Amino acid sequence: MSSSSYCLPGQPIPLPRNGPVPQLGGGIYVRDSELRASLVGIPQQEGPVLSISRVRPRPPAINSVVLGSVTRLSPLQATLSISVVDGVPLPAGEEFTGVIRSQDVRATEKDRVKIGDSFRGGDVVRGVVISLGDARSYFVTTARNDLGVVFAVSEAGKTMVPVSWQSMRCPETGRLEKRKCAKPE
Amino acid sequence: MALDRRRINGPEESFPPIFDSDALQWKVGDARKDRSPADIRPIFLQPGLISQANGSAYIETAKTKIACAVYGPRQSKNTAYSEMGRLNVEVKFTPFSCIRRRAPMRDAEDRSIAVAIHQALVSSVRLELLPKSTIDIFVTIIESDGLDGCVASGSVAASTALADAGIELLGLVTSCAASVVGKEIWLDPTEEEGRLSKGTLVLSCMPALKKVTSVWQTGEMKVAEALGCMDACQEKCTEIHSVVAQALLESAKI
Repeated sequence: MSSSSYCLPGQPIPLPRNGPVPQLGGGIYVRDSELRASLVGIPQQEGPVLSISRVRPRPPAINSVVLGSVTRLSPLQATLSISVVDGVPLPAGEEFTGVIRSQDVRATEKDRVKIGDSFRGGDVVRGVVISLGDARSYFVTTARNDLGVVFAVSEAGKTMVPVSWQSMRCPETGRLEKRKCAKPE
Repeated sequence: MALDRRRINGPEESFPPIFDSDALQWKVGDARKDRSPADIRPIFLQPGLISQANGSAYIETAKTKIACAVYGPRQSKNTAYSEMGRLNVEVKFTPFSCIRRRAPMRDAEDRSIAVAIHQALVSSVRLELLPKSTIDIFVTIIESDGLDGCVASGSVAASTALADAGIELLGLVTSCAASVVGKEIWLDPTEEEGRLSKGTLVLSCMPALKKVTSVWQTGEMKVAEALGCMDACQEKCTEIHSVVAQALLESAKI
């Protein structure tokens, strides 16, 4: 079997003849010390990782980068509707619910965080999943420079631009609004 | 039976015309009509027919026609936290699927088929990779020719649809029915043949791993007969596996 041929779930994958044993990525499992495919696709080796990749919507896991919009605010937490997981958009209507607790908003001065000064309803937030959470929601953190609000609309209805990591400016009225901004790439 | 007033209801009592040639003139000891005891009906299988589903498959074995759609994984709502994902199977008969009109309301039959298909599939899906999530499988029986055939074809279609949806599986599940008629074992019985039989057995397995996922037996059967059925089914499952493999590879290469 050549390395460029399709595998089916359950089909054994031959190990590369020379070189070290690869690490297993997605779409591959071991059973009775034999590598087998669990997805339809071509096994590909990237560096030390052998995997069958397939771009499709998947549920969030720990360390996935997610994008979501803020649906609800309370003094203790902000609720997110997660619509993109690891760069793959989820089908409409199949969003996952995430929660940013006040202690997960930023890394410093955690006890002085005010949720209302960090997020507003409708903001699009980039975060990282830190825990599968409880039955209802995934726990998301924005405590990193590149995480936080990436898109927000001002009270005047215009898209705001970030001016510091804690504030955004409305281009129309020039007023500052408080947000936990993500550092632009 | 309660009438559903939101639907256009057919006549309460209607019977199909019975023609003389329709009635199966079969006596114990006669040979099987149309095919040999170890033959199954030809299978047509097409993954990816339902575009809005994450994965889907359509299967046709002579008069059995089944469409299957897979949605998800989506977040489990209204359930407790679980490390493992959940597999949810729903079976629906179309009103015109059987000889007698089937009212569009759920009765016990479709649920028992759903349980059988769930049992056949659940050990093949890597649910440990999908915490807090649910996979929904909807099986629509467009035309039915024997319940056992529906369970077998439904399981094959559902497993194909799961693979088409890109859900991680330990292996593809194939399934085959067998019934004991007289002293012979007839594979893949039709509805008529099912009525003649003493007992029926549906075996589901993962031929790639040589593992049996479920055995579903109804009626009366001796131990030797049951074992004979299982052996015959397992052999046919390997053949069905190559049909599934070919269908999946063809759709993957497009």
